[in-house]
Amino acid sequence: MDLLEYQAKELFRQVGIPTLPFQTIYTPRELKRLQIPYPVVLKSQVRVGGRGKAGGIRFVANTIDAIAAARNIFNLSILGEYPEVVLAEARYDAEQEFFLAIVLDYQLQSPVLLGSVQGGMNVDSLLDNLQQVVVDGEFSSFYARRLTVKMGLSGDLIQSVSTVIEKMYRLFQAKDLDLIEINPLGVSAQGELMALDGKITANELALARHLDIIALTTKDNHLSPQEKAATQIDLSPTIETEQWLDWQDRKGKIAIICNSRDLAVITWDLLCQGKGKPACCVLIDDSRYSCEDAFVSLQEQLAKVLQEIDQRAEIKVVLVNILAEEKVNFTIAQTIIELYQLGEKQIDTTTGEERNLVANGAKSRSHRQVNNQSNSRPKQIPSVKIVMRLLEREIDSLPEDIPENLLYWTDNLEEAVQKAISFGKSR
Amino acid sequence: MKMQWKLPNRVIIQGINKADAAHYTAAMKACGTQVVAVISTGNGGEEVEGIPVFDLVEEAIAKIGKIDATLICASPYRVLDAAREAIAAAIKFVVILTPGIPPLDMVSLQQKAKVNDILILGAGSKGILVPEQICLGALKPQFYRSGNIALISSGEYLACEVALELNLADMGQSIVVHLGNEAILGSTYQQWLSILKEDKNTEAIVLIGQPDYYQEQAAVYYMEAEINKPVIAYLAGLYTPRERDFLDATTIIANQLSYSVSSVNTDKRALAALKKAGIEVAKRPSEIPPLLQTILTLKY
Repeated sequence: MDLLEYQAKELFRQVGIPTLPFQTIYTPRELKRLQIPYPVVLKSQVRVGGRGKAGGIRFVANTIDAIAAARNIFNLSILGEYPEVVLAEARYDAEQEFFLAIVLDYQLQSPVLLGSVQGGMNVDSLLDNLQQVVVDGEFSSFYARRLTVKMGLSGDLIQSVSTVIEKMYRLFQAKDLDLIEINPLGVSAQGELMALDGKITANELALARHLDIIALTTKDNHLSPQEKAATQIDLSPTIETEQWLDWQDRKGKIAIICNSRDLAVITWDLLCQGKGKPACCVLIDDSRYSCEDAFVSLQEQLAKVLQEIDQRAEIKVVLVNILAEEKVNFTIAQTIIELYQLGEKQIDTTTGEERNLVANGAKSRSHRQVNNQSNSRPKQIPSVKIVMRLLEREIDSLPEDIPENLLYWTDNLEEAVQKAISFGKSR
Repeated sequence: MKMQWKLPNRVIIQGINKADAAHYTAAMKACGTQVVAVISTGNGGEEVEGIPVFDLVEEAIAKIGKIDATLICASPYRVLDAAREAIAAAIKFVVILTPGIPPLDMVSLQQKAKVNDILILGAGSKGILVPEQICLGALKPQFYRSGNIALISSGEYLACEVALELNLADMGQSIVVHLGNEAILGSTYQQWLSILKEDKNTEAIVLIGQPDYYQEQAAVYYMEAEINKPVIAYLAGLYTPRERDFLDATTIIANQLSYSVSSVNTDKRALAALKKAGIEVAKRPSEIPPLLQTILTLKY
C-alpha cells in the first residue's frame, strides 16, 4: 500500500527524520487558519508521480494566492487522480538535493540501501549516480556509512546522512515496508538536512499487524463510514468463492474454469499454443472439500460462473480443467450436467406426458435431449459447448449418452484443449 | 551451498489446530510418514490420532528424541517464531506450509538458516513427496508413481500435470518437491539441484514453474556445479498476462521514479539463461517424456 506524502512524513517524524512544519488542508478555506508563516508550498497529495511537472506543486506568498492555488490543485487531476488533501508546508532553501531509499531486493533476498547525490526531479542523473549497499546480515550503522562514502560524501555529511539512513531502516524494519524513499533530502548551506518529500510503500501481507499504518491511512480523510468499513482489514477466515482472474481477451471464445491458478496458467498457455482464443478464466475454490457444505458451495460457485459466462455472447466454449479428489470431480460433473439440462427445461416445450416420463430418471432425461437435438430445434441447443477434463473416466450415476458435440469429456488435458479449440472454430 | 540431506523419517507438525492435525497426520501416515509429535500451544499432554501433543518443541524432543523435520502450519505472523523455535531445537529441515508470510520475516529467517545450515522449504510449500515412500506435507499422492525422475516445481498442480504425462509414459518419479511461489523462498531450484545431484534414485530432473528469476539462478548454478544428470525445464505462463515480477533494487527504484513499468522481460531472460546452460525447455507437458527419453538414451 502506497502512503501519501504527508502520511510518510508523519512516520518520518516518529523516528526523528527531520521534516518541515506542515499542515493538511481538506478545503481551500482552511488556509485562512494556516499556522505556518508565508511563503509556503502547497502540494497535491496523490499517489501517482509527476505531480510537479503537472502543476500539483505551487509556491504562494499570501492567503489570497494560497486559496486560489489550492482551488486549482483540488481541481487538477494528475494521471486521473484528484487529491483529497493538499499539504501546506514551509519553504526550504536547499543547496544540494540527495536521494535516499531502502527497498527489498527480491533477487538478492535482502534489503538494499540506495543513494544518489543527484536527488530531485532529474531521473537520469539521479540514476547515473545511484549507489547501493546490500544489507546481507543484521543491520548495523556501518552499512549506512558505507553507502554515504560510496555516494562520495565527506566530512560531517557522512555521519549526518548515515543517521537519516539508520532511521529510515528502523522504519523499514519495524513497519514491514517494501520501500521507503526520501527524494529530495535537502541539504542547506549549513549542512542541515531536511526530508522535503517522501514515499513509503507498506507491505500488504504485513499490514494487518501495523494498526498504526491502517489508522494513519484511514483517519480523518473524510471517508464515509461505509468507505471506512471497506478499508478495514478483514481477518476473518474467507469463505470459499469463485475468483475471476484478471486475464481478459474480449476477442476470445473459450472460457476456462479451473480449481487452481496453476491449471489456469497451463490451460491458457496450451490454448494459445494451439491458436485457440481464451477469453477469460475463473478459479473455483474446492479447498474445503472435506467439509460437509463444500459440495453446496461448489454447486453454487459453478452455477454463478456459468450464468456469467452465458451472458457473454462471444464465448462459444467452456473448458473445465479440474484436478481434484474423486468426490469433487463427481460434484462438478454432476452440477454441470444438471445446470445444462436446467437451461433446457426453461424452454421446455414437451407435453405433460413427456414430462412424466422425464421424471422417471436422469437417463431418460438425457435420451430426450438427444431426441430434441435430432429434431434440430435450434433454441434448445445450449449457447456454449462444454469440454470437461476430469481424471475420472466415467462416473456411474451420470448419464452416458450426452452427445459429444455438446459436452466432451476426457481425462487428458491436451486432448481437452484440442477439442475446445475445434469447438471454438466450429459454428 | 552444499547440503547434507537425507529423507526425513521422524517428523513433527507445529502450530496446528487439532482438526487439521488429525487430517494431515492421517494423510501422511497413509503414505508411510511418521509424525512423531504435534506442537500446539495450550494443548500439551493431549493426543491426536494417537500422536502426543506438546506445548514446546523442546519438550517433544526431551520426551521422544531426535526429530528430522518440522512442518509449520502456524498463521502467517507466527511462522517466523515457530521456525526459530525449531532451529533452536536443532531441527535441520523446516517446511513452511503457511502462505503469505511478510517478506521481511522470510529475510530474517533466511539469515538465520544460512548461519545454522538449515534447509527451509516454502513458505507456501505443499512439501515433498517420494511416491509410495514418504509424504511430507500436503502433496496429493494419488497423482504420482514411483520411479527415477525428480520434479522440482513452484506450482503444485504444474507438478501434477507433468507427473500425469510421465505416468502415461511409464516414467515414475523419484521425488516431488514443491517450492511454493512466494516472493521469498527458503529454498529454490538451485538448492534442490545441489541436493538431488547426489540422490542415487534420481536419474533426471525436471524444473517446473512460471518463468522467474529463480530459473535464471538455477541455470547459472547448473553450468557452474558439475551436475552429471540430465536436467530439463517446463515453463508455464509464457502466454498469460504477467501479474507480478520480483525485481532487483535498482529496477524497482528506476520504475518507481520514471513512473513506468520496466521493460525487463522475465520470460525471455529465463528462457535465454536455460538455453545458455543447455537445459532444454519443453513446450507442453506431453513433450517432457520423449525429451527425457532422448536425453537419457544419449547418456547411457
